[in-house]
Amino acid sequence: MTTLAALATRPLVIALALIVLLLALGQALSPGFASAQQILRLLIVAALLGIVAAGQNLVILGGREGIDLSVGGVVSLSAIIAGNLMNGADAGIPLAVLACVLIGALFGLLNGLGVTLLRIPPLVMTLGMLGVLQGLLVVVRQGIPSGRAAPGLSSFVSQPFLLGLPGILWLWIAVGIVLALLLSRTVFGHRIYAIGANEHAATMAGVPVKAVRIALFTLSGIFAAIAGICLLGYSGSSFANVGEQYMLPSIIAVVFGGTPLSGGKGGYTGTMAGAVLLVILQSILTTLNIDESGRQMVFGATLLVLMLFYGRGRAMRA
Amino acid sequence: MAKLKLSGISKTYGATVALHDGALAVDAGDVHVLMGANGSGKSTLCKVIAGSVRPDAGAVLIDDTPVTISGPRVARALGIGVFYQELSLAARRTVAENICLPDLPMTAGVLVDRKALAARAARTIALFDGVAGDGFTADATVDSLRADQRQLVEIMKALASEAPILIFDEPTSALDRAQVERFFAIIRDLKAQGRAMIFISHRMDEITAIGDRVTVIRDGRTVGTWRLDETDTATIIAHMVGERSEPPGARASRPPQDETMSGPEARAPRDIALSVRGLGGSGFTDVTFDLHRGEILGFGGLHGQGQSAVLRTLFGALPRSAGDVTRGDTALPLRTPREAIRRGIAYVSGDRRRDGVIQGRPILENLTPIHYLRQRLMLARPSVLQQKAQAAVDALNTKFAGFAHAIDSLSGGNQQKVVIARWLMDRPDVLLLDDPTKGIDLAAKADLFALIRTLARDGMAIVLYSSEDAELLGNADRILVFNGGRIRRELAGADRTRYNLYHAAYEAA
Repeated sequence: MTTLAALATRPLVIALALIVLLLALGQALSPGFASAQQILRLLIVAALLGIVAAGQNLVILGGREGIDLSVGGVVSLSAIIAGNLMNGADAGIPLAVLACVLIGALFGLLNGLGVTLLRIPPLVMTLGMLGVLQGLLVVVRQGIPSGRAAPGLSSFVSQPFLLGLPGILWLWIAVGIVLALLLSRTVFGHRIYAIGANEHAATMAGVPVKAVRIALFTLSGIFAAIAGICLLGYSGSSFANVGEQYMLPSIIAVVFGGTPLSGGKGGYTGTMAGAVLLVILQSILTTLNIDESGRQMVFGATLLVLMLFYGRGRAMRA
Repeated sequence: MAKLKLSGISKTYGATVALHDGALAVDAGDVHVLMGANGSGKSTLCKVIAGSVRPDAGAVLIDDTPVTISGPRVARALGIGVFYQELSLAARRTVAENICLPDLPMTAGVLVDRKALAARAARTIALFDGVAGDGFTADATVDSLRADQRQLVEIMKALASEAPILIFDEPTSALDRAQVERFFAIIRDLKAQGRAMIFISHRMDEITAIGDRVTVIRDGRTVGTWRLDETDTATIIAHMVGERSEPPGARASRPPQDETMSGPEARAPRDIALSVRGLGGSGFTDVTFDLHRGEILGFGGLHGQGQSAVLRTLFGALPRSAGDVTRGDTALPLRTPREAIRRGIAYVSGDRRRDGVIQGRPILENLTPIHYLRQRLMLARPSVLQQKAQAAVDALNTKFAGFAHAIDSLSGGNQQKVVIARWLMDRPDVLLLDDPTKGIDLAAKADLFALIRTLARDGMAIVLYSSEDAELLGNADRILVFNGGRIRRELAGADRTRYNLYHAAYEAA
């Protein structure tokens, strides 16, 4: 009984239960919502969000108000640059991937340096970086024509690759496995938890706190850049601020998955469930003919409700 | 007639009895000195008067009228002004505002009367005219001031209250000679005005210079009150020590000392694990000592005389402003804890919640960070790590259900054992213990001291700072007594007595 009760309070279990519930609700509202084809499409969209949320998850785990509001900007910039570099040709894919990952890493690195060396609060630093990225997007789009996704990239995202699943889902599964191992079986992973749970004690135990935090922000930039490339493959061509929609959901997915905003505990498995959950929710809202502004309101409210349930630890530790 | 009279004051915190039978009678026009060893209860007694601690029992009389001091505001209203040892200033506000903060002059009960505030502050600041130093003006913000100037603001704050009863808890610790002289001149004026003052200091020369009477507190009990001109330092310290000269069994735990260990001079230089010369930093200056392999070097003295800051500086957690630390011919810069750890220096803090425990994480992750750094590991394989950690936790008799359990599931003593054990997976050369037994149970303490004696016997060099004098006397081979951020005396061999420890703790430069 007690184990069952304990199980029921675990965020991952709650998220999985909600996924089933929402799928049933969607099926009831619109027959065919929970069909295999539809679920596969939802998973592809969830993978895009999930990859952004991977970086967000790492930054939040590292504590000290860690958050990356610039992920949406990096996603957009990456999608545009990838589109221009490949411009519909498979031959351009390697260069595009390399360039985007480097650019994502650069902006993540700048965030990390600002947060650690200049001691700018992550909220302010990454919000400022988002502003810079948005300005940069305007400049880039005016200077060069909008690009198109290479066919290889498009099929990676939407065509079955192995066991009926497209490449992007395998990529997401790989990210999940790598992060699970990183967090549980590497020194770096243990150091992330240590600085998130008690930064002072971590410093006294020889953890290179600043280096770890810089690495987390850099990884967040890289994950956002990868998601941007995949997003280009999903939509075929890049358009303005395509990544903007990822900022809030990436944070909600992390919190939904059981990583509190105060950091130091949680993991990526829950975040993956959180991403799926959010995408289903989004899809139901679309089915109900609720427009973008309505969806944003629902998401914002969701985050606030989540904070009410999961965010208590933060106030107690402050 | 006593201006302020306390009797039968008792206060317990959980199982700890801070005050058992505290009594004090302060006359108007007197400077009444309060003396006692660490943990004797003198601070608690002051807090009772200041209203920040409510006693469990006892009576407080002001002008022979019983009063209940239920809070700091009540204390202020009763005419009690307090100088707080731990700085209580608003850093971003001006000197004038801080001075008047306890009782801001108001117009119509809402707005701060700027003119009255400036006038009152100017009057108080003028008292220290000429000794306050550069940049000390009414408009300067407190965070722009030096440590001694901040302490002056604290003093002025107490003075500006114009309270008939004043408490000064170590008011001179950061002041220079001229500032102390001026402060004492002011105190003599206040005496002439008939104020009653309670004075706590860790400097015997100050106590004899300014005090009229002294009350000695020991183990939460008032031993007695004497006129300072009718007694001497030796007698007072004898009262602080009491009949009980040594803790029972303290000597027994110490191994017989062989001839080669008889004194530091007899040791060969290669036995020196750490050579500290002229070390200066936050709150201490000119600290010089040699730490030998195989010895437990005690840091003693009253609380907060620089012992902890020296240890944190040696560990690279606080910046060093002067001096050298060497091992053999190698200078150790020790700028960060990482650097210190790589040089084989370990540091255990008594504040485990802040400095030690990684909350919410498994016991294993709390044991391994030092091992990761010293072995330059990338991968964390639980089975391998558990095997290595097992010996370290066993050495301390740590009781726990499994390595995967969160450290929060352990008792305080066992949590501290885990924090200590993290240093034992790879043996350090130097172990710095900064009041390591604070808040842990007696059994855990016994386990810890048994372990450090074994470690010392195996050749580790250990520095032990303890706020419990019995722990120092029972475990340290040598004791360096700190006072005012300097080492005042070294107690070795038969000199390690409670009497000598207290005497040195109050000794002046």
